[in-house]
Amino acid sequence: MLLFSYLLLGGLTSGVLYALVALGLVVVNKSTGIVNFAQGELFMFCGFLAWTVHVQFGLAYPLAFLAAIAGGFLLGVVTDRVAFRSLAKTDVVGLVLATVGLGFVLRGTARMIWGGKGDYLSFPPITSPEPVMIGTIMIIPQQMAALAGALVIMLAFAAFFKFTRAGKIMRATADNAKASTLVGISIQNVYTLAFGTGAAIAGAAAVLAAPLSLLYPDMGFAFFIKGFAAAVLGGLNSLSGAVVGGLLVGIVESMAGGYIHSNMMEVAPFLLIMLVLIVCPTGILSLYKARDV
Amino acid sequence: MGLFSRRNVLAILLLLALIVPSFANAYQLFVGNLILIYVLLAIGLNVLVGYAGQLAFANAAMFGIGAYGTALLQVHLSWPFYLAFPAGALIAMAVGLMISLPALRLSGLYLALSTLAFAQFAQWVFLHWDTLTFGAGGFKSPPISFAPLPLSKPVGLYYLSLITTVCVTLFAQNVVASRIGRAFVAVRDSEIAAQSLGVDLLRYKALAFGISGFTAGLAGGLYSQLLNFVSPEGFDLFQMVIQKSTIVVGGLGSIAGSVLGAAAIVIILELLREVKGAQEVFFGAVLIFFVTFLRGGIVSVLQQRLRGWDEPLHGTRGTDAKSAPQLRLDEKESLP
Repeated sequence: MLLFSYLLLGGLTSGVLYALVALGLVVVNKSTGIVNFAQGELFMFCGFLAWTVHVQFGLAYPLAFLAAIAGGFLLGVVTDRVAFRSLAKTDVVGLVLATVGLGFVLRGTARMIWGGKGDYLSFPPITSPEPVMIGTIMIIPQQMAALAGALVIMLAFAAFFKFTRAGKIMRATADNAKASTLVGISIQNVYTLAFGTGAAIAGAAAVLAAPLSLLYPDMGFAFFIKGFAAAVLGGLNSLSGAVVGGLLVGIVESMAGGYIHSNMMEVAPFLLIMLVLIVCPTGILSLYKARDV
Repeated sequence: MGLFSRRNVLAILLLLALIVPSFANAYQLFVGNLILIYVLLAIGLNVLVGYAGQLAFANAAMFGIGAYGTALLQVHLSWPFYLAFPAGALIAMAVGLMISLPALRLSGLYLALSTLAFAQFAQWVFLHWDTLTFGAGGFKSPPISFAPLPLSKPVGLYYLSLITTVCVTLFAQNVVASRIGRAFVAVRDSEIAAQSLGVDLLRYKALAFGISGFTAGLAGGLYSQLLNFVSPEGFDLFQMVIQKSTIVVGGLGSIAGSVLGAAAIVIILELLREVKGAQEVFFGAVLIFFVTFLRGGIVSVLQQRLRGWDEPLHGTRGTDAKSAPQLRLDEKESLP
């Protein structure tokens, strides 16, 4: 029971983080049709930004959190203006290669600014690191903080889409780009907004993840591929699907690591992705085909 | 045919490559050999991505499988290099064929994801199957000797690489100019149209993956000998980005472009060897720049400037604007 609850909580915690990365991917994909392969690197970059604000400048944690979100939004907007605007008309191969390229630009920049390979920066935890026992269940406060933070972000995100004008515009464009142009929505601005929002979520996720996972320039790809897997599990177009997919990936990873072999933890998500894509790609594909019609 | 036609330029490059060992120092010979290996990788990848249009990310893993296969057959079973080298390439080809099975059902992004996952899985195997692969530390691969021939090991390996590269280049040139190459391009431009013309998707996708796996495996075998050392480190995603850069810079869907792109990229890679961060920034920027502004790569510029650079089947994307609208319709569907 102790092991199970420990693994479940660990899995849930990493699961919500993957879900946040997946949400960023889905937001961008929904409105622009681009899967941003640099999402993981945006995540990593924002984590380092928050580290600089929090540790180097000594500002409070909430300020670092805001800085990461703002920094992420700005990065997203800039990358859209610089690279993706002119790419909107090319094919999948071009888009994927360009976003991979962007990811490596960010990764290299982070490596040059924040240290070499194998350098891990620790991010001070927001809560006490001591685990708390409730009955036979062990609870690590830092994980609880990350879970709660992720929940708040997801709710805020849902509210943004439901109630704000910008959110409504983005939903309208995702639903029907041509019709939204007719009612005076600028598609270009929606694209910019989508990239900004997607990167801002990555930034928020990074600040939650940083105390648990440490910071290193290569961290982005691991989070990206698991977030991508989560997004695909959820159908690549559904926000709630991304959250469910993220939790699934996180829990599978944690359980495989605990019950099979600790080495399995790294590789279980990839086996899951390959299995899902090979065995039932039609299930996933049929989801988005249904939308297209 | 102009003076700088494609054939003449490649012939001059070949002549140059033949005499490199007579004047190069050890390091220059190493770089020359590395260029040949990357030419192999670029041609294999270009057949898969540039001609057949399969957006796969597993080439770095196949490169690794070729290197590990060749070196491990020598270490564990003490096979001679001349057996282990083709065997390693065949193993990589078999793996490539295996990956092509999901590719039949998946396209575009989903294929990219599944091959990325496979590449991660392969790297995990290199790292953690200690008893077979010697884990993270890597292992020394036994050096080959060219005993009856009066060649030192680096020079011999260089000529072996050159012969392999020339054979593969000629083979690829002929493949893409044949019925098979036209079928690849048909699959790339529209799977539905290709099928309705009687192109067997399974067969041609498998063939493209097989060719790219085999060439990547050959490159891996040569690479293991070039370094005398095999470790999981060289076969990661960054390796994949370097290989993608070579074909994007050279020109998607061009064999001659693969040769030029590989040479350019390896030289730049060596110049930036000191700083890993700078390499990453540079290759990332190169990918963005060429995809955004110069979609046809170096070859598209050469085609415009020089007579005799007519490359068959190259450049339905980017360079040939007229066919672009038809492509769009098809690709919209593969976008989720």
